[in-house]
Amino acid sequence: MSARARQPHIVAQRLTLMVTLLIFLAPIVWLITTAYKPAREIFAVPPQLLFSPTFANFEQIFRIFDVPQLLWASILISGASTLLSLLLGVPAGYALARSGWRWGPAVAYFFLLVRMVPFAATLIPFYLLMRDLGLLGSYWGVVLINAVFNTAFVVWMMYSYFRSVPKELEEAALSDGCTLFGAFFQVALPLVVPGIIASALFCLILSWNNFLFPAFLTTANTKPLSVALLSAYGTKDITWGTMGALAHFLVLPMIAITLGLNKYFVRGWTQGLR
Amino acid sequence: MAASTLPRATGSFGSFLGLRRMRYVSRRRLFMAMFGAPAIVYVIAIAVWPIAQGMWFSLFEYNLLRPQRTEFIGLENYARLLSDPTAIRAILNTFLFTIAAVAIEFMLGLGIALLLWRDDAFNRIVLALVLVPLSITPLAVGLIFNALLQAEFGILGYFLANVHVTAPGGLFSTAAGAMTALITIDVWQWTPLMALILLAGLKALPGDVIEAASVDGATAGQRLSHVVLPLLLPAIFLALILRTMDAFRVFDSVFVTTKGGPGDSTYVLMFYAVKEGLEFFNIGYASAISNLMLLCIAGFAVLFIIFVRRADAQTNT
Repeated sequence: MSARARQPHIVAQRLTLMVTLLIFLAPIVWLITTAYKPAREIFAVPPQLLFSPTFANFEQIFRIFDVPQLLWASILISGASTLLSLLLGVPAGYALARSGWRWGPAVAYFFLLVRMVPFAATLIPFYLLMRDLGLLGSYWGVVLINAVFNTAFVVWMMYSYFRSVPKELEEAALSDGCTLFGAFFQVALPLVVPGIIASALFCLILSWNNFLFPAFLTTANTKPLSVALLSAYGTKDITWGTMGALAHFLVLPMIAITLGLNKYFVRGWTQGLR
Repeated sequence: MAASTLPRATGSFGSFLGLRRMRYVSRRRLFMAMFGAPAIVYVIAIAVWPIAQGMWFSLFEYNLLRPQRTEFIGLENYARLLSDPTAIRAILNTFLFTIAAVAIEFMLGLGIALLLWRDDAFNRIVLALVLVPLSITPLAVGLIFNALLQAEFGILGYFLANVHVTAPGGLFSTAAGAMTALITIDVWQWTPLMALILLAGLKALPGDVIEAASVDGATAGQRLSHVVLPLLLPAIFLALILRTMDAFRVFDSVFVTTKGGPGDSTYVLMFYAVKEGLEFFNIGYASAISNLMLLCIAGFAVLFIIFVRRADAQTNT
């Protein structure tokens, strides 16, 4: 590597990438460090790189919000909607890719279209539906609407993924006496694990970060972190520092998951594009 | 589908009780229908049905605060949409925002993807880190840029205002500035997704083609434009369509930074629909705005499918 690293064009490439990285990461670093700054130092001009860290912002955020409850609500809502979308979406993607049904591709694109629907169009009728079902304020309303858009995405993504996996293996298993269920679970499913993880990541990020659905469908007891951050925004006694502290709980788990599973992001898309 | 297979199954002797004896083809069809049906039923019940209701609502003068005054008015909401200056502004802004954001994201994303193409340890680390903005909640992203770009005490905003790049009131104080800020926010958050899909496309390319081209003595630029980009078309289409559809319904960043302002200069369709629907409870009019968006998004999807078909046909001949 060291010999290659000295080639001028590789040095130039790496420098470019490092500058790019700096631009993409600096705002996040600013958000995180803001939480440890005393209020008067956040907007000091010129910006100070060195400051005496404080945990006052975290103390305040724990005084104002029931952080464990918010965290639990976020985990429950995003976890349940991701799980539901995978349970429904993966088999449907398989069926559309393998059934040979002539409307299969059209239906797959229809799902993609559903994923892209401007949700303002659905929120009001959905709100009325949840009111009639008595699910307003419960976790289930948010889970159901988050999961429906995620399911649409998973179906489409898994449809492209299953199509890229050769079906000869399943056919061989079937002619060896394997059942249809067996061919799906033992042959097809293990081949698409990267695609499933990539879809799950997108579902998780989307439902964790969404604030409009829960803002209308949850109550004070069931609201997730995103809604808390929204309500903190523009409140007088909440400073940038305390917002930064609250954002920690919203942002860090997703950063950790993205970094930990990042190879599946690439692999999931690569196979689907083959 | 299942219904049509069952009589055939019962037609064979004594098999009306058990799936076991159904013909393989029928059984396979039933299996596929069982796998596909739950997702289809769910999406129709929870997404398509509300969308259909929204289409129905758009034909009414319907305000949740004044339900007794609900009245069928046909296409009047749509007529109003085309003569409402705020709506026209929102339509133009949405297209301007979408085209500018997606174009910039595509160029930057392609650059990053090409730089990261070579698979080595350095590039793997950079890729992992460059994907991080994807996972940050748009709410927090809006807050970050709002704070950074403020003219009085934002680190970036103060500097930009002092060197007279922006108006003294900061980027958010002028119409063009506020739109620039919104595009910047979108580019910051979504260029990584563009880079990710394009990089995945590059990695899916057959390696021998690129090697053959480099042996032929083609320059890097020629290889890129004559070999790599044509082969990359499916990934490029996919990245463009996904980002176009998503950028077209931009909402979060507008909601937490400009709120459509100054004036109505950064109103976009989604923001207008949410404001009309969820703030003023003008369900009829909000539904009409949403349906206009739906129409545009469906149009993008159709264009996309036509392009893919054409590209497929070209590569297969």
